[in-house]
Amino acid sequence: MSPSQSDKLLIRRIRQGEPAAWNELIAQYEGRLLAFVESRLRNRAAAEDVVQETFVGFLTSLPNYDPRRPMEGYLFSIAAHKLTDFLRREGRRPTIPLAPEGSTGSGWEPDGKVRVASSIARSSERRHLEVSALSVALAKEIDHCRSRGQWVKLKCAELLLVRGRTNKEAAAQLQVSEQMVANHKFEFLAKLRSAVRKQGLPEEVFPELYEK
Amino acid sequence: MPLSQSDLEAYLDEALPPEQMARVEKALRETPELIRQASAIHSRRNAGVHSLGEIWRAGRLSCPSREQLGSLLLGVLPGELADYARFHLNVIGCRYCLANLADLKNQQVEGNEVVETRRRRFFQTSAGYLRGKE
Repeated sequence: MSPSQSDKLLIRRIRQGEPAAWNELIAQYEGRLLAFVESRLRNRAAAEDVVQETFVGFLTSLPNYDPRRPMEGYLFSIAAHKLTDFLRREGRRPTIPLAPEGSTGSGWEPDGKVRVASSIARSSERRHLEVSALSVALAKEIDHCRSRGQWVKLKCAELLLVRGRTNKEAAAQLQVSEQMVANHKFEFLAKLRSAVRKQGLPEEVFPELYEK
Repeated sequence: MPLSQSDLEAYLDEALPPEQMARVEKALRETPELIRQASAIHSRRNAGVHSLGEIWRAGRLSCPSREQLGSLLLGVLPGELADYARFHLNVIGCRYCLANLADLKNQQVEGNEVVETRRRRFFQTSAGYLRGKE
């Protein structure tokens, strides 16, 4: 979902400090943010507090907000962080270290093919470009499935890639054969690999696209 | 069903349906190895590496639009689209779409005065952070 023109204009007005624009944003998004938070907290008062913090968080982060990023997604991500903080304070959510115990540096060690690409210095900007390229390729393939009515293929891909289901689980869910799931997965990933190659990106950067 | 790597990723983003978030939380408390795995996901992300599922979910690449969800609620979304929307909501369990759907349902029942009071409170507690011209 790309940012709409009206969202971009709204942001511009909010950056200029226009209270009416801020009111508009609140009116547009508070309901869905509240539903998002309340579904976890099951407490309306606490949920409203978290949404309140979300709006404050949005305004304080506004100087760093990239208007190319869809506003709804950005607001949901702030709400998710505020919700996580709240749940942690309440002792309902375990603290997860930013790096595994005993690790050095960032704590992340690439394995297999990725080790080659990662040993080459890649700036964060470069990595951002790579992720953007893959996002565009994914969006294109998803739209392709939708426009051609290839709903089973789309559902397979979403179950496998977004929910991490196995071929067997996806087949059971969709009531198709495992072979069909495997075929759909193969085709979907082949299209993504082709798109990534066309952009001149090294295959080692996206090991998932090449897993057997 | 055992937890997948994707489930852990979605958990970290508060992106699983609530009952599944609770299930992962319980598992994290009972299984130290899962904490290590979740921590490794943090590290990977900090290194700028994201899984296909993370990119798909963060970009909301297959989410129905809010208008389509409204049509689904009204029972006027065309057959295949409606079927896919229900799959995305009920099987994938997209938390953002579930929130949009809940909001659309609430709009039909919540009183105007309640909504306006709440919105006014949100405005009053945040407007002080509005900056001037940039």
